[in-house]
Amino acid sequence: MQIDSGGVTDLGRVRSNNEDSFRIVEPLNLFILSDGMGGEAHGEIASSLAVDTIERVCSSSKVDLEVTLAGASGENWTEQTRLLENAVLQANFGIYQSSQEHPEQRGMGATLTAGWINGSKLSLAHVGDSRAYLLRTGNLQQLTNDHSLVAEQVRRGIITPQQAEESEMQSVLLRALGAHPEVDVDIDEFDLFPRDVLLLCSDGLTRMVTEPEIAGTLQAETDPEKAAQKLVDLANERGGLDNVTVIVARLQDESKGWFSWLRRESGK
Amino acid sequence: MAKLSLMFEERLMKEVPIGNRPVTIGRSPDNDLPVDNLAVSNYHARVYFEGSRLVVEDLDSLNGTFVNDLRVERATLHDGDAIWIGKHHIKVDATADSAIPWDMGRKAAAPKINETMVLDTKMRREMQRQAAAMGERSQFSPGRVKMPTLIVLNGRVDQKEYVLTNKLTVIGKSSMATVQLRGWFKPQVAAQINQRDDGYYLGTGTKIPVVNGSPIPGPVRLNDGDLIEICGVRMNFVIRE
Repeated sequence: MQIDSGGVTDLGRVRSNNEDSFRIVEPLNLFILSDGMGGEAHGEIASSLAVDTIERVCSSSKVDLEVTLAGASGENWTEQTRLLENAVLQANFGIYQSSQEHPEQRGMGATLTAGWINGSKLSLAHVGDSRAYLLRTGNLQQLTNDHSLVAEQVRRGIITPQQAEESEMQSVLLRALGAHPEVDVDIDEFDLFPRDVLLLCSDGLTRMVTEPEIAGTLQAETDPEKAAQKLVDLANERGGLDNVTVIVARLQDESKGWFSWLRRESGK
Repeated sequence: MAKLSLMFEERLMKEVPIGNRPVTIGRSPDNDLPVDNLAVSNYHARVYFEGSRLVVEDLDSLNGTFVNDLRVERATLHDGDAIWIGKHHIKVDATADSAIPWDMGRKAAAPKINETMVLDTKMRREMQRQAAAMGERSQFSPGRVKMPTLIVLNGRVDQKEYVLTNKLTVIGKSSMATVQLRGWFKPQVAAQINQRDDGYYLGTGTKIPVVNGSPIPGPVRLNDGDLIEICGVRMNFVIRE
């Protein structure tokens, strides 16, 4: 399936440095987003390390999946999904190791949300409170669960989603890359339909812009890069309290009308 | 000079300085820090300087060595860390030394709220205790396994009921749909259900589903017993335990 994509990252209006990193690996249809944390410039180190490692591991076809890292999942997933998970585990260990070797980096970490599309199959790997959404037939659906304290409290029925949005504890994460030598990575797979739109974003977007606004923007602007820019602009108009990063990937129609369908059928 | 203090609860049992030789910890009496407890292996762990870094190494112990709640095989120690072995812990004092202070730049105990931080295991456990005490309001409460299920009342579909196990459930004619609609002129994606933090949300596809008699304006959270109508199919959403 043909995919058009674009991404934008922005400092926001309040922060003095951008700790987000993203990467679009076009030949692979691999989309990676990471939001770093830690003092000084260390959040940037963590997020770029995450993005670099995942691109490198997913690009190398030599990875032996039998030699999986501790914590890697079993056989129920496709090879692509397992490779992506493996890449995230390696990124985690890389950040952890770097912070062990450089005392000034202690406490640095990063979120990670990555989508990898192969044909009509989307592999997703996720740690932290960045998010992946899927817009399909105008309906925006969240594909990831935030690994934040407030989201966990919502899942356990302690607080409502509204209370979570107003909570002062929104920045407290339960999982992140680099905090421990091992990490539990959420992985999932989805079947994609023509015209589906995949959105990856850092919390700088979702804390500033509502989901109906995100859905509306993605429907109104069909150019992925422009749509990403519009969402970033909207977050900044609302105050831009954090770095904002948005990746938009749009699956094209399988066929351009009945004529190409006819041609494809007769070509079989 | 860095030192290690063996503690049992709040009582100081023994204190040793760390010099050039590794400090050994274990149940056998010839250890520098002997710990008389069956949960502790004969030679359980050791602590030593590697250059200017203070390192703890687990010696393949049966029950493990923990640094501040995290099980480790080998880890760099910082001033104020606690090494847990069984019910005993060893306080690390590296103040008068070149070892790295624990809270350089940031303190885990008192987070600044606008700064993203990762909750440590102790805080997480505390939260889980709190959660257990609060009872269970959520559709995914731990303790009891709850299975959200669509039960088909009538209409042409491929199964009589569907347990919702995925993040996304598509209702439509597509071969990728979970709930497969049968018959001519049925849409590929008629409606979809998204599992979110606080429950399951029914959203539109190319059709607008009807819930308990009213067409939905946008995604709605499904409640136990809701009646869903879409493309001539009527289904009950129930949460089974």
